Amino acid sequence: MAEERQFTPEATIGPFYPGAFVADMPQDLWTVSPLVAHHPLGEPIALTARFIDAAKRPVPSLVVEFWQANAHGRYRHPLDQSDAPLDPQFNGFARLRTGDDGSLTLRTIKPGARCPRAPHLRLTIFASGIDRLVTQIFFEGDPLNASDPVLVSLGDPTVADRLVARRRSASEYAIDIVLRGDGETPFFDDWSR
Amino acid sequence: MSVAMGRVLPVVVNDRESEGRTPSRPLHRIPETARDPFAPIPPEPLVGAAEHDLTRIAPGRPRANGDAVTIAGRILDEDLKPVRRTLIEVWNANAHGRYSHVIDAGRNEAPLDPHFYGFGRLVTDDNGRYRVRTIKPGAYIARKDISWWRPPHVHFSIVGSGVRLVTQMYFPNEPLNEKDYIFLIVPEADRTRVIGRPSTIEPADVSFDFDIVVRGRFQTPPDAD
Repeated sequence: MAEERQFTPEATIGPFYPGAFVADMPQDLWTVSPLVAHHPLGEPIALTARFIDAAKRPVPSLVVEFWQANAHGRYRHPLDQSDAPLDPQFNGFARLRTGDDGSLTLRTIKPGARCPRAPHLRLTIFASGIDRLVTQIFFEGDPLNASDPVLVSLGDPTVADRLVARRRSASEYAIDIVLRGDGETPFFDDWSR
Repeated sequence: MSVAMGRVLPVVVNDRESEGRTPSRPLHRIPETARDPFAPIPPEPLVGAAEHDLTRIAPGRPRANGDAVTIAGRILDEDLKPVRRTLIEVWNANAHGRYSHVIDAGRNEAPLDPHFYGFGRLVTDDNGRYRVRTIKPGAYIARKDISWWRPPHVHFSIVGSGVRLVTQMYFPNEPLNEKDYIFLIVPEADRTRVIGRPSTIEPADVSFDFDIVVRGRFQTPPDAD
């Protein structure tokens, strides 16, 4: 592996990330394209995530990239060699931005499980003031949560619970992501080997 | 169970957003059974041939105000192999230090340039190379109360092909660099890695080399279904 020091340091996206860069990426993984009858396989859901700072204020204009497996638990990734099939209608990548209320809503399908992992969404978070953050979101009521290695690794169940989106209706989930302070959401170090 | 902890993210001094938003707890290490290389891969966007040129809002339109500069280099993965077909997004302020962004409208008295939007995209070639034409951005004041000026800088985002990085490129020999809190958070030994190097083959005052080394390993795009 390369020496630690040769990597280009990360930096914040700052306040001025262009709107076109969000608009030109998928923002709705349930809708293949306007008026197209095709949809991905799986259970359609809407996840609302609200982002909060240390002063409990909503964080507007925060950019999130979502990445997830399809309904069979398969990632559209060259290194995913699982036997589970790809879904022609599902790529699994979306980029959204929070509004003034600090929240955004992703329409997608509930990802499939992939042993030993419970169904989850992967989030990469960017905002003015912070470098790239990564975390994962799970779904309330999923029986696999209890044995998911990421949730278990957090040790304290109250901390692990901060990554579980609450079910608001048959197809709606909601979660608060606290960037800093009381009830701080756990974030992960994806540099670690 | 013991919980292994990772890095603690540094807070940018005097940056209120950094102080209010940077997690206070160390990052959690991902347990080995959950570490997989399935880094996010966006579908490759259709990037127009002129999108790498920020100096005109469309081909054939007048050139923007200020000094046109070229920034070129390679995107390399952690094995120093070129990252092919990865998306680069670039954005910067205009020559007056003003962004064409609604958030900058209320707090920046510098004028917009009708011929400059200040954002562009391109995809790296088969050798991981890229080349961007833009206007050298002006400096702008980030906090008047403490006279914090941001030096001229160009934002870069790299996504796809197994890698993800957002960084900022600074220009050499800019006195404001050493006073900028966002520049100063970079460890001293790494600071040369975020400063463009004057080109050795093109006019050095307006041509800069900027190689970017990202964590992760380049992955070829998936086959068709």
